[in-house]
Amino acid sequence: MTTAAVQIALPLTETRQRPEKRRLPQLPVAALLDVQQTLTAVERFAKQHDAGDVPAQAKYYRDLIPLERPRPNEQYAFEVDLDACTGCKACVSACHTLNGLDETEIWRTVGLLHGGTSQSPAVQTVTTSCHHCVEPACMSGCPVQAYEKDPITGIVKHLDDQCIGCQYCTLMCPYDAPKYNKSLGIVRKCDMCSSRLAQGEAPACVQACPNEAIAIRLVDRSNVIEASQGSGFLPGAPAPDHTLPTTVYKTKKPLPNNMLPADFYHTKPEHSHPPLVVMLTLTQLAVGAFGLTFVVERALDRPPGSPLAQTAFACTLALVALAASIFHLGRPWLAWRVFLGLRTSWLSREAIAFGIFAQLGVLYGLLAAAPLLPEFPGKHWAMMLTGGVQAAAAIMGMFGVFFSVMVYVATQRAHWSGTQTGVKFFGTTFLLGSASVLSVYVFTGGTLDRMSRNLLTSILVVAILKLAFEASVLLQYRNRRHTVLKRVATLMLGDLSLATRWRFGCTILGGVALPIILQNEAFMHSLRIACVLLLLLLVAGETLERYLFFRAAPASRMPGGIR
Amino acid sequence: MKSTLSGLARKSREMLVRPTGPLTRELLQKPGHFGLGLVPNRLSADMTTSMTCGFCSTGCGLNVLLKGGQAIGLVPDPDYPVNQGMACPKGWEALAPLSGPGRASTPLIRRDGQLVPTSWETAIFEMTDKFKAIQQKHGPAAVAWLGTGQMPTEELAFLGALGKFGMGMIHGDGNTRQCMATAAVAYKQSFGFDAPPYTYQDFEESDVIVLWGSNLCIAHPIMWERIRKNPHQPKIVAVDPRMTETAMAATHHIALSPKSDLVLLYAIANILIKEGWLDHNFVDQHTNGFEEYCAHVAKYSPEMAESVTGIEAQRILELANLIHAGKRVSFWWTMGVNQSHEGVRTAQAIIALALMTGNIGRPGTGANSITGQCNAMGSRLFSNTTNLFGGRDFENLEDRSQVAATLGMDVERIPSVPSLAYDQIIESILNGKIRGLWVVATNPAHSWINQAHLRDVLDRLECLVVQDMYCDTETALLADIVLPAAGWGEKDGTFINSERRVGVIKKVSKAPGQALADFHIFQLIASAWGVGDLFRKWSTPEAVFEILKELSKGQPCDISGIGDYVAIDRAGGRQWPFPAELAPTINQRRLFENGEFFTADGRAKFLFAEPRPLPEPTSPAYPLLLLTGRGSSCQWHTQTRTRCSEVLNKLSPSELYVEISNKDANALGLRPDEQVNVVSQRATVQARAFITHSVAPGQVFMPMHYETMNRLTFPAYDPFSRQPAYKACAVKIIKIDQVD
Repeated sequence: MTTAAVQIALPLTETRQRPEKRRLPQLPVAALLDVQQTLTAVERFAKQHDAGDVPAQAKYYRDLIPLERPRPNEQYAFEVDLDACTGCKACVSACHTLNGLDETEIWRTVGLLHGGTSQSPAVQTVTTSCHHCVEPACMSGCPVQAYEKDPITGIVKHLDDQCIGCQYCTLMCPYDAPKYNKSLGIVRKCDMCSSRLAQGEAPACVQACPNEAIAIRLVDRSNVIEASQGSGFLPGAPAPDHTLPTTVYKTKKPLPNNMLPADFYHTKPEHSHPPLVVMLTLTQLAVGAFGLTFVVERALDRPPGSPLAQTAFACTLALVALAASIFHLGRPWLAWRVFLGLRTSWLSREAIAFGIFAQLGVLYGLLAAAPLLPEFPGKHWAMMLTGGVQAAAAIMGMFGVFFSVMVYVATQRAHWSGTQTGVKFFGTTFLLGSASVLSVYVFTGGTLDRMSRNLLTSILVVAILKLAFEASVLLQYRNRRHTVLKRVATLMLGDLSLATRWRFGCTILGGVALPIILQNEAFMHSLRIACVLLLLLLVAGETLERYLFFRAAPASRMPGGIR
Repeated sequence: MKSTLSGLARKSREMLVRPTGPLTRELLQKPGHFGLGLVPNRLSADMTTSMTCGFCSTGCGLNVLLKGGQAIGLVPDPDYPVNQGMACPKGWEALAPLSGPGRASTPLIRRDGQLVPTSWETAIFEMTDKFKAIQQKHGPAAVAWLGTGQMPTEELAFLGALGKFGMGMIHGDGNTRQCMATAAVAYKQSFGFDAPPYTYQDFEESDVIVLWGSNLCIAHPIMWERIRKNPHQPKIVAVDPRMTETAMAATHHIALSPKSDLVLLYAIANILIKEGWLDHNFVDQHTNGFEEYCAHVAKYSPEMAESVTGIEAQRILELANLIHAGKRVSFWWTMGVNQSHEGVRTAQAIIALALMTGNIGRPGTGANSITGQCNAMGSRLFSNTTNLFGGRDFENLEDRSQVAATLGMDVERIPSVPSLAYDQIIESILNGKIRGLWVVATNPAHSWINQAHLRDVLDRLECLVVQDMYCDTETALLADIVLPAAGWGEKDGTFINSERRVGVIKKVSKAPGQALADFHIFQLIASAWGVGDLFRKWSTPEAVFEILKELSKGQPCDISGIGDYVAIDRAGGRQWPFPAELAPTINQRRLFENGEFFTADGRAKFLFAEPRPLPEPTSPAYPLLLLTGRGSSCQWHTQTRTRCSEVLNKLSPSELYVEISNKDANALGLRPDEQVNVVSQRATVQARAFITHSVAPGQVFMPMHYETMNRLTFPAYDPFSRQPAYKACAVKIIKIDQVD
């Protein structure tokens, strides 16, 4: 069918009535709508392709992909000619289209570096995607082995069906290459169009760059390691020595050494990861409570109140924490896979350690209840084991917290350094552990005795030390250099100032004011209520601290554009 | 033992690690056939067809992938002569705007202050009744239209014919006034016809390329692609106050003071003349007015120019030498020239350089204006606004008679005066002469200079009709009647690109709801107005294309031999002129190869004027000069279409920003990324400070794509082209004190 010619109905009888009242003359609306909805391009124009299986685009990219497969110790890598990249961003949209990505998903970005002087200004656009690192942090961090580095091509591939959506790789990668797809519940990333390369076709970005700025080349891995020792990777990019990125940025004109990413000063709060906040706070409470009970029992030779109650409370919260962490996953039903990464992933170790801790804790609770039960076979052995299980659980818990620390230390981010994370996580462990033990103690017969007073004192001391440590980061706000910690301080005092105020307020009330007040005998009668309040305030304070831990965490990424 | 263990480990991994599955298949690629190479599942097509992109004037060919006749995606056309397999992000995302959230899918009419859905009949008759009533009371000129450079030529022609010959209007103008009017007038005065002389191949043939006021890398990335393909290691000169992406990629950056272009051009001409670096032969045989020109530029010494432009005399000499040394020098200009208070003369000073050095009519040469919108060229030839159809003159009786005869209309129907320009139409609304306005496919409430004033003006209209793809543009929200239009990809027609190439667009997607192609809307209006008979032959776009071919006969833009849509499509577009006697195989042409111009005596003219001061110079109260322009390759004009693509949004700055030099920022005590107020005499606008050396001290830059920006700009116009001078007004920047 060809487009129907619609003749216009004529003549119109002009009526002199008011428009609202008159009957409107007929217009050929229906016929035109019909024409509008008829698509005719196929019949009229569509091309007849005979040799349609040879990519017509090949003539443009033939020189941009290697002719040979990599030799041993070589791999494929992106090579970006900075002198040719002019920031048109065709590579990003081509990658989006030719990889069939979801509407909001992009695997490649184009950033802007600027610097120089007013006499001699310099701008440089930078296209970037996955660097297919020699030592991919995404892969070593993945708890479920959802990454593999192809032994021949060196391409770092993500196995979409193996992914459980924990997003740890998005924190591990310094370059922000893996992208979380919320609707699918998994991470996806650039695979250098490996199926295209396998067919002798160029990756989408290479095909689409009007300036031939992106090419695939063979690189020698030892050269990558050597190059990563210097600072020559790319100005404004995260240091290469951690993951050994293979992308080569080449330019003939040396860039001024004050080149900064256009988004260098643009720091926005990151995702808060509520399930992780809950998980990290409550596991530490549970480990602290369990461990403290164990230590106090050994040191003073009497438990703080009922060991059973202490255990029950700690284990319940540990189970709540583990349950919460499941909600963090994009595909929670696959959580069981986490042990697969045990060999390299701190996240696997953390998950396993807390899993064992919770099980041992529950086992200990059962064993501790054994004396209360009537005689049963093996009761003697059970009672013999009790102490050992308790010790093992306490130790496993502490390992769990240590692994939690390492999960963040491994990302190599300054704001999640060993000191920053270690002080916070073990501080919380001790603080909430003490508060929890105290609360359970006063509810199971404890009074304002030496035990309670000691616990109150330790809460006071740890709270003050922890608050002081956290506040010291805020001093970075005055730093002349725009360091990562300055960004943290800027966020905490700026966009996140409300959370910051509540964070300090809660712990000052619950960890400083209440412990001092409660030392006074006058409050003995409201001790229980006060201890519950104290615990709640401290849990709230630490939860907010953990919330800030994630939100005031400047992203690590390649240079971005003007935001 | 060890191997058993590792074997076991491998086995267990094989059991527990899933290398494939439904999520992997989601992105699986398979041969796309049709020369596409591998494509993802969602792009698996049963047919493809190529069409011209609907964003900018580059006019790229896009290969639309079809399934059951419906577009499911697109890739750049590998064989189209313009873009050769490449596209900018807007091109790649060209289908996204069709499913944008603001699409108008039913006619709307204002009732009790609210726009409410209505039928086509009600909307159209409300429009025609109101317009007729206004015309009866205040004369036919009291209703006018503002059109576009975004519609196919056939629709522009229909609008122009219907408005003037059918509905009796006198005045209609297009948003092309905002981008191309200067170039059109400059060419018409200098060459005798609005005729950009080049073909894109010239980018590849030059040995010196001068880009004047053009950020090609961002505004026309595919033309930059053509420069990159130039095998002659060309010298590339970027003349721009800012260090743009293009300036960075060029071999020479001339960071002149804003709007000192004319002085710099005259100084260069003066050097060329003094040194005798001229093509005397060409000047003698093919031009007029050279002696006067020499006399005029004599006082523009390099030293004098240095004091005005801020470019050292030595560098100006070097630049002149570069032009002299080049064997094939091409000059290209864009908005930096066009959007200026003296744009026409500036463009003509560029033309003068090309003429005096004989750099015209040969491969790799030319004084070349790069157009803005996809069909700005179609609008310039066939919109029937400033010029009568085919570049004719409304004031010329013979021209009017020709058109009337071709169209089979009474010559009395053709007005004997040209339309008022855009700004004059606005002015006429203000003083009550125009009371009904029909806005088609443009968004003046965002884009017009001194925008707050314009909105106030639009409020005075008795009837504002907006015909657009979207019912949520700033202008549509002010309308009394909104007519829902089909967009690019939902209708047939042709565009004419910057190099005069006629390309075909096709209907490959269904318009939403009741939306109709502008072409069909014009048919309805013609019918309702009672002039359906007059347009009986205007039944399909292709029928109108035949009429336009007739109208072009004998004009410089003669396309009578160009063939039908299918022929143009097969040929990969065809450049005008394409008279019947031209061999149909020719696909790359430039004008003036024989030195013959379109003036009465066949000679090009040297035209000049005294440079005029900036309309709104900086002052102690407003010490900074505001430059405006394109911010990124992912944003198009007022963003009504590009905002519909999530990808383009991700690649664009999320809010209005102002680039300010480190020196000025320090003086103001600004922190990077801080929110500031940018204040002109007309408005205060909030923006984020981007502190950078790429703007010079004393200047600030803001991208044009954000709605508030044009509240700041100063309404100055080029006296010949009436094009607004968007690129210079005085502002100050005030810190917003953050109160926590």
